[in-house]
Amino acid sequence: MNAIFAPRTSLGFMRLDFVLGTVFIIPFTQMVFFAFVAGLSGGAAAVSFVVVGNAVATVTYSSIFSVCQTTDSEKEAGTMEHLLVSPANRFALYFGRGVVPILASLATVTVGLVYAVTIFHVPFNAAESPAIAVSIVLTAVAMVGFGLLLGGVALYLRTSIILGNIFLFIGLLLSGVNFPLSSLPLPLQYLGDVFPLTWGLAAVRASLAGAPLGTLLGLWLNVAVGAVASLALAMLLWKTFERRALATGSIARF
Amino acid sequence: MSAHPVIHTRDVRRVFESRKGFFFNELVRTEALKGVDLDVDAGEIFGLLGPNGAGKTTFTKIVSTLLLPTSGTVEVLGFDVTKEAHKLRPRIGLVLGGERGLYNRISARENLRYFADLFGVPMERRDKRIEEVLERVDLVEAADRRVEEFSRGMKQKLHLARGILHGPEVLFLDEPTIGLDPKSARETRKLIRSLVADGVTIFLTTHYMFEAEELCQRIAVLSRGRVVAQDSVAGLRKLVGGDRTIEVEAYGFDDGEIQRLRALPGVSRVVSEEYGPRLRLTMRVRTNELELATIRTMLANHPELALRERRTSLEDIYLDLVEEEAS
Amino acid sequence: MAPNAYSRGRSLVAVLRLSVLTFLADPQWLIPSLIAPVVFGLVAYELFSGAGPFFVLYAILGAGMMSMWGQTLYGSGWATGADRHLGTLEPTLSSPTPYLYVVGGRVIWNTVAGLFGGAIVFAVVAVTYGRPIPLSDPLDFVLMFLFVIVTLASVGVVFAAAYVYTRYAGFIQNVGEFAFYVGTGCMFPVVLLPFWTNPISLVLPPTWALDALRYLAIPGYQGFSWGFWWDIIGAVGTTLVYLVIAGTVFKSVERHVLEVGDLNDW
Repeated sequence: MNAIFAPRTSLGFMRLDFVLGTVFIIPFTQMVFFAFVAGLSGGAAAVSFVVVGNAVATVTYSSIFSVCQTTDSEKEAGTMEHLLVSPANRFALYFGRGVVPILASLATVTVGLVYAVTIFHVPFNAAESPAIAVSIVLTAVAMVGFGLLLGGVALYLRTSIILGNIFLFIGLLLSGVNFPLSSLPLPLQYLGDVFPLTWGLAAVRASLAGAPLGTLLGLWLNVAVGAVASLALAMLLWKTFERRALATGSIARF
Repeated sequence: MSAHPVIHTRDVRRVFESRKGFFFNELVRTEALKGVDLDVDAGEIFGLLGPNGAGKTTFTKIVSTLLLPTSGTVEVLGFDVTKEAHKLRPRIGLVLGGERGLYNRISARENLRYFADLFGVPMERRDKRIEEVLERVDLVEAADRRVEEFSRGMKQKLHLARGILHGPEVLFLDEPTIGLDPKSARETRKLIRSLVADGVTIFLTTHYMFEAEELCQRIAVLSRGRVVAQDSVAGLRKLVGGDRTIEVEAYGFDDGEIQRLRALPGVSRVVSEEYGPRLRLTMRVRTNELELATIRTMLANHPELALRERRTSLEDIYLDLVEEEAS
Repeated sequence: MAPNAYSRGRSLVAVLRLSVLTFLADPQWLIPSLIAPVVFGLVAYELFSGAGPFFVLYAILGAGMMSMWGQTLYGSGWATGADRHLGTLEPTLSSPTPYLYVVGGRVIWNTVAGLFGGAIVFAVVAVTYGRPIPLSDPLDFVLMFLFVIVTLASVGVVFAAAYVYTRYAGFIQNVGEFAFYVGTGCMFPVVLLPFWTNPISLVLPPTWALDALRYLAIPGYQGFSWGFWWDIIGAVGTTLVYLVIAGTVFKSVERHVLEVGDLNDW
């Protein structure tokens, strides 16, 4: 069971310093940075916008990054080969890796939003809490699903943390974290729509703003579709790349 | 033993401390070395044997400047390893071996070139020297391949090549033939002997007793952080009680029989162990006076009695010493 | 015999060569190296495009520094972390070359790579939005740009010591990344920060160097009230202090890891 959930390699999440850093410190410093930038460039409204955006965007560390890192660590330590020759159920083996990151992602986004409300004075209505909670959970699951998808590719690549880096930066640009997507050229907007972070963030923003249920349901559906699609593609990729990796021997290389 | 040993250690102790638990509140102390005294002479091959976790690698890292002792004196080539490591390092070589410790994505030659520069191999001799060591470890043909494509044995050879690259006066080898096929292992042993012929002092750890017996002039056995014996193989044989080992096997012996065997002239030690359905008594015998016929007569009531005699091997000595220490 | 200037220089070149070889052996790293500056440049441009050309240039310079930070500092530290992963830290430390020079060689390589990162930021903004960045004196600017990288490298060397010290340095650096961006005021003036944080900003060499760069690049720029040359003096002074600290820290870190004996842990 431990091998399936890989809790220690998933962000080293059993260590106090890692928990403190990833959940409490990184979101704070990232939000502070962009809040100052937005304060200089666009005023209070812009500050609220980037603060919420970055509170949610920090989910990338505990979802995509951690899943990619788990794959890298297993390849480095040579445990990936043993896992792949094990008779363990593939669904449990692949998706079990997402359990700890989902919990970490939930914690990260929640803490980020608490900072947004308490430190940066983002308007918050307690009545919207259930809607916000649904948005956070769906975003966390979708992001981890996306992380697993990248983790599948990572099985074949030598160092998957590169993918984590790429999507960390792309998320900042194409998911409406720091400025509305509408200000980007149209092709980039379409590209942004492919990432679950874009929809998750839109759902969180809408929930915070007290959007009507109809609007929220539409956004949630998009996030959920993104989550399911990511997970299904992830499964397919893991299987495909497992075969390819075994054929090329890339699992044994780091 | 010379008055000026190349490696000289007295009362070397090493304690590892680590913190565990969610709040790092649990301090774990492990005493890896508990007062090690060793002297290694110039030009000899000295072997350090011991079970896993005995402290061999810890000791090797201390004498090769990669780890500081918690207390004690450690001098190599007259330098104090804790204070004069920078003077000592150009004159010693270290081979830790294993899968790690090499730049996998570049070639063997590039690995050697990098370390040749770090170790200050003279520029005008560098490339020739790299070619020489590649030849010595039989890696010339694979020299320009990436290390990640190497087998475990080839990596081990590359570790060796790096260790001797700068012409060290003392070479520390931590299990140098582990992972090598028999032919490569034999070539490595040949290489070690040739290094000694060139004047290099070798300090090696190994789990292969025949290797230690074949190579080493003197051997120390380390167990649970202590040196339990230190001598030549012949000296160690005397220490454990005899050149001869007689093995007696049958379907059981009674205590009286074992006592009588133990009382025979020259018998220093009798150890019994189950061997499948049978019982095996292993006897260390000091003298040539005791004949197998005497034992056969004593145990004539055992119909399926088997008797063997052989020379006491280093493995016998090692097991005696380690078991004695453990008990 | 202690290593002399020649052997130290030779070690630097050897490490530089190794860095290039390992980079060429795994060019996948080029992708995030290219993407990071592009993204930083575009995000900076988008955020400040409504605030006028002054702020755009201001932010682009900051974005350039952010991308160089990634290359210069992160690259240098990461390579030391990789030594731990590969198990090459032990044989490297067992050589007569002080590890500071190994890190130094990596910093030189990453400085060159960082220069490319910074250049990409300017190119992306200029090409994507069809507005070349106006520079009154390109040569002075490039020299100053290089100097900013040197100041970053001085911080990078100190950070690299953390990688030798502990296997968790990469994590510490990740946590500190945005704090560093905040502290150096790479996208906003540090005077906007609470007063008590100003001393922290001023002990970071890039804070001074970036302010000087802005004096050079932005017409009418009024940064720290003491002006361009005091920025330069401050940057040189703090950089030297960092390099001295790095030399001292490396000695004690090397001693520490030999005491702890965790060189092979990762």
